[in-house]
Amino acid sequence: MAFPSLTPTQRNFETGDYPVKTYKSQSGAEVRLLYGNQRTNMKLSLSYANLTDANSELFLDHFDDTNGTFAVFDLPSEALAGWSGNSDALDASGSNQWRYESPPQLVSVRPGVSTVTVNLIGVF
Amino acid sequence: MAKVYTGRDGVMQLADATLAKVVNFSLQADLETLETTTLSDNLRSYTPGISGYSGNATLLYYKDDNDTFNTTDLLNSLYKTGTTGVSGSDTVDLTFRWVDGTDNNDIKLTAYITSASIGAATGEIVRAEISFQGTGALSTASIS
Repeated sequence: MAFPSLTPTQRNFETGDYPVKTYKSQSGAEVRLLYGNQRTNMKLSLSYANLTDANSELFLDHFDDTNGTFAVFDLPSEALAGWSGNSDALDASGSNQWRYESPPQLVSVRPGVSTVTVNLIGVF
Repeated sequence: MAKVYTGRDGVMQLADATLAKVVNFSLQADLETLETTTLSDNLRSYTPGISGYSGNATLLYYKDDNDTFNTTDLLNSLYKTGTTGVSGSDTVDLTFRWVDGTDNNDIKLTAYITSASIGAATGEIVRAEISFQGTGALSTASIS
């Protein structure tokens, strides 16, 4: 089962960082070692406000299909809707996939209507 | 027959008994709207949420020939002795009516009195002002 092809109402993206290790000497001099050429640990939080319960359930089902935070998956283009920059800017280099960082959060707003928030983390 | 309604046609009832000396009443229906606009949209869209009813009324503080006050049951919904406060059974059945001859246009609801004020001022008639919050569905809505 693919990630639900729904357009979020809010999207928060953290770029992550390159694997850098920093050493500081007692004199204050700093040495930085770069351990890779890929940016990692990208975080993407998607909120879907006031969905029907049927659409909300798609996220819960998808979380089960990926065995929770275990399996990785691709995001549909709808996840980046409204972003007019290059789509790979919200990835690491366009080649990463995503997995759940934590279980989806569902808030029941009224009968038949719910708000879902998913927190994802980019992995290679 | 065409008719413009005025304050003379207005009637407010408590438990199906007409209240005396009602100066004014106002009833409001509200619908909460839930926004469903998404990131790629240019125009806002909504889905209906919860609807509800509320309003207020002003009555002259009036004692009739039988020593009965018109405001007793309304004010006693909030002005209470004891320490239990307001309970779930402290609702009032209110009817708002616009009369056209023998035709009645009614809105009837069950409500909690959410505020009640009464005072006295030199040179003025004492009035009781109440606000209410409807609970549940309207039992009658024959206003058209």
